[in-house]
Amino acid sequence: MINPYYLQIASFILINIILGLSIYITLSTGQLSLGNAGFMSIGAYTSALLTVKVGLPMVAGILAGSLLAFLIGILIGIPTLRLQGVYLAIATLGFGEVVRVLFINWESLTSGAVGIAGIPHLGRTMLAGLQERGFSSEQWGLKNNEFISLTIFIILLAITVLLLAFFSRLFASRVGRAFRAIRLDEKAAEAMGIHTTYYKILTFSMGALLAGFAGALFAHVTGYISPADFTYHRAVEILVFAVFGGSEVLWGPVFGALFLTVMPEMLRGMSEYRYFIYGTILVVMMVFRPQGVLDQPLLDRLRGRRGGGGDDAA
Amino acid sequence: MRKISKFFLTASILALVLAQAIPAAQAAPVAAKIGVISIITGAGAAYGEAITNGFKMARDELNAKGEVKIELLIEDSSGKQEQALAAAQKLINSQQVTAILGPTLSTEMKVVGPEANASGVPIMGTSTTAAGITQIGKYVFRNSLPESLAIPASVKKAVAKYNIKSVAMLYGNDDVFTKSGFDSMKKAATDLGLKVTTIEEFQKGQADYKAQLTKIKATKPDAVFCSALYEEGAVILSQARKMGINQPFVGGNGFNSPKVIDIAKEAANGLVVATPWFADKNDPQVKAFVQKYEKAYGKKPDQFAAQAYDALYIMGEALKKAGQADRNKMRDALAGIRNYNGVLGKFSFDAERDVVMDPNVLIIKDGKFQIFN
Amino acid sequence: MFFEQLINGITLGSIYAIVALGYTLVFGVLDIINMAHGEIFMFGAFVGMLLISYFEAPVLLALGGAVLVTAAMGLLLERLALRPLRGKKGASHLASLISTIGVSIILENLAHHLFGAGNKPFPTSFADASFTVGSTTVYLVQVIILVIAVLLMVGLSLWLRKAKAGKALRATAENLETASLLGINTGRIIVSTVVVASAMGGIAGVLVGMAFNYVNNQMGLPMGLKGLAIIILGGMGSVNGAMAGGLILGLAETFVVAYGNSGYRDAIAFVAIIVILLIRPQGIFGQALPEAKR
Repeated sequence: MINPYYLQIASFILINIILGLSIYITLSTGQLSLGNAGFMSIGAYTSALLTVKVGLPMVAGILAGSLLAFLIGILIGIPTLRLQGVYLAIATLGFGEVVRVLFINWESLTSGAVGIAGIPHLGRTMLAGLQERGFSSEQWGLKNNEFISLTIFIILLAITVLLLAFFSRLFASRVGRAFRAIRLDEKAAEAMGIHTTYYKILTFSMGALLAGFAGALFAHVTGYISPADFTYHRAVEILVFAVFGGSEVLWGPVFGALFLTVMPEMLRGMSEYRYFIYGTILVVMMVFRPQGVLDQPLLDRLRGRRGGGGDDAA
Repeated sequence: MRKISKFFLTASILALVLAQAIPAAQAAPVAAKIGVISIITGAGAAYGEAITNGFKMARDELNAKGEVKIELLIEDSSGKQEQALAAAQKLINSQQVTAILGPTLSTEMKVVGPEANASGVPIMGTSTTAAGITQIGKYVFRNSLPESLAIPASVKKAVAKYNIKSVAMLYGNDDVFTKSGFDSMKKAATDLGLKVTTIEEFQKGQADYKAQLTKIKATKPDAVFCSALYEEGAVILSQARKMGINQPFVGGNGFNSPKVIDIAKEAANGLVVATPWFADKNDPQVKAFVQKYEKAYGKKPDQFAAQAYDALYIMGEALKKAGQADRNKMRDALAGIRNYNGVLGKFSFDAERDVVMDPNVLIIKDGKFQIFN
Repeated sequence: MFFEQLINGITLGSIYAIVALGYTLVFGVLDIINMAHGEIFMFGAFVGMLLISYFEAPVLLALGGAVLVTAAMGLLLERLALRPLRGKKGASHLASLISTIGVSIILENLAHHLFGAGNKPFPTSFADASFTVGSTTVYLVQVIILVIAVLLMVGLSLWLRKAKAGKALRATAENLETASLLGINTGRIIVSTVVVASAMGGIAGVLVGMAFNYVNNQMGLPMGLKGLAIIILGGMGSVNGAMAGGLILGLAETFVVAYGNSGYRDAIAFVAIIVILLIRPQGIFGQALPEAKR
């Protein structure tokens, strides 16, 4: 039953959920960032270079990549958050493109468009580590590729669950209420004594951190990255996870990433029409349900049907 | 489940009995599922179209001959690594294919190759020309001529013929294919001691190459070395000729397609390319293929179609040798392929499962690809 | 070489300007960014190409055909993807951004199915015609593009300033509710804005096809992104800004290649966005502060 194909899809879903969260967090203070593909590439390249060229362990690479994305998020966030709405969206889109062009042209470091191959693979490294200690995947009745896929899936699942738990608590806290106040009306929030600039930079850089983290994971799951992985299309895809699934509740981007990663796989048979359907979904959603598939009333109703009392995360 | 295996058991016993009863030539065909990862949607769909056409045609011919029975399972990658990887996992684990053809791009192969290799599934690129592909592992093959073989061939011939002393270079810097082609080009130029007047870059989807070309024109090179895919290359040629850059253009394998002539018309004259594929070759096998392809798909086959066509034939050859749809036997049989005679000419794998063949150097003259000498 | 590059830059810049005009008109009136504009531009290029290669139509007819088709597309876009969002509870400025992204994906794939993948040549009878001024070669195509672009920009400016419909459009752009109170049929103004903007995209498509001798179904996005950069540069909603911004970007890109590193050509537009937003967020010609318009 452990089919690497399904586990592969599941792993990409989990990475996409983290990406969806990254944009959701920025959106929670009403900021739209189209630069998350750029932050993702910063995380991916940092971790890839540190592990391939410096020989650092993977964990250190991933942490360094996330941290660098976070720091650059703060640097970019401070000046650009004076901007609002579509201005911020386009400025961050510009940021993402500049980062990509930089990676293309900085050949001595990044090998340009050729990309970085042979990045330590999350699952294969785990397997090799275990084999050194005398374990083998056969002991669990698994083939090597099954073990590799399963390991990646379990690690990513654990990370995603932790992240979701952390953020659902964060959004239920005083900080989360401050985010929502800013999103609803920035001036009113400021008048009530909420330090809006601080919270806006916080959400922006947290979004950058998560995107960088997801990027680093992506690098170690595919084993190869090139600037072409972090184009405008990727930024739009990340945005769509949140906007389609629901940009007002934490489960929105989770659902969006899940659905939009599974759907193209299910539609493989009719792959020629896949993007037609994708585009149509976007338009239809916006026309009939602009807040996304999931919103608070729907979640409440779902909880009610299950008989459990809704928590007051709202 | 048990019923099915019983059925197979009976069937295979029956097959054994039959195989002994009937002369070998009429043995039941060796059946195998071959997975294909190609670009059906998105930016590179033009390549995917030619490639899958080539596969389908080879499949129909092979199956008609009756020695093998190949079922093609075609999956889309959209040119993206993750989708290619998911497609590979599907083919390897759900569909249980014996071998994989594709994916289309070298970037995709760098992600898919290690996975197929780790799973012990032979995989063969038919259009992956970047460096370091078959070095991924012993299950990774290719029959596409790498740029590191193609470009020195065309450069050397052009330099000798036109007495080239100085060159301007132009290449796409945001694409793996054109970038590694450029690296080979630069090396070839240095090896021959040519003076490089300027190196210009362009990016994907750029409509306007006039700025770069104006600059190149001002440096008055003897020739222009251009590493581009034919889609862009044709447009560059047409803009260059319009501006009065009449020097010869030397390109790699990616620049080679009948579409260059369709798009650039007379401007295409004077383009020198090295290629495994020459559609007007005076060879009955090539002629038959071109004729049949043109009839089926309404256009001349380009190298992507031809390489795909030969690749499946090579797979078929290996399948016959392996005698059964077994991944390891397929790998060994593939690795042993030498001097296969296809529409691309004589083809062998070297010890590293990479390509051994003599590229044709062609020039476009009077609106036609012709042998350059 | 300098003058040739100057002419290259002006040709590219005037095409950019026309693309940007489409964005700026829609943004000025509706406060939204039409992400499908690049793909409408691409359809214009295809219609022009089909008319010229298969029916051997003269350029003016090709332009007319492209205008008709893209105007109709604008009408459909407004009806199906923009109007339903207007005034809807819970719809933010994000909603129209997303829905037009959806339309752009649909159109790109539609073009793939209708016209196939890959570059198609754009044959014009005067493709090779050129004349020499001093030591500088000028191509007829460049002159034609420039003339059409200037005519279009002057015409649009005059129309906006003098014609009744143009004035109504400006009033609507200024304040939709007030314009509505003043008896302007704002619904109709909105439709005609999107239609006019799309038609300009169609014209730009034909011009690009003529200038660079190719069309393909992927050409919308890069051009669309440049258009976005230009309206930020020139000021969102500003017609003069779009024209000036287009020229500036066209010249900047050309001269970076001529005297700098061509590898960074595509980054200029985006560096410009970031710099301008930090220094003068309202753009060169913009008046309202961005905070005022969300």
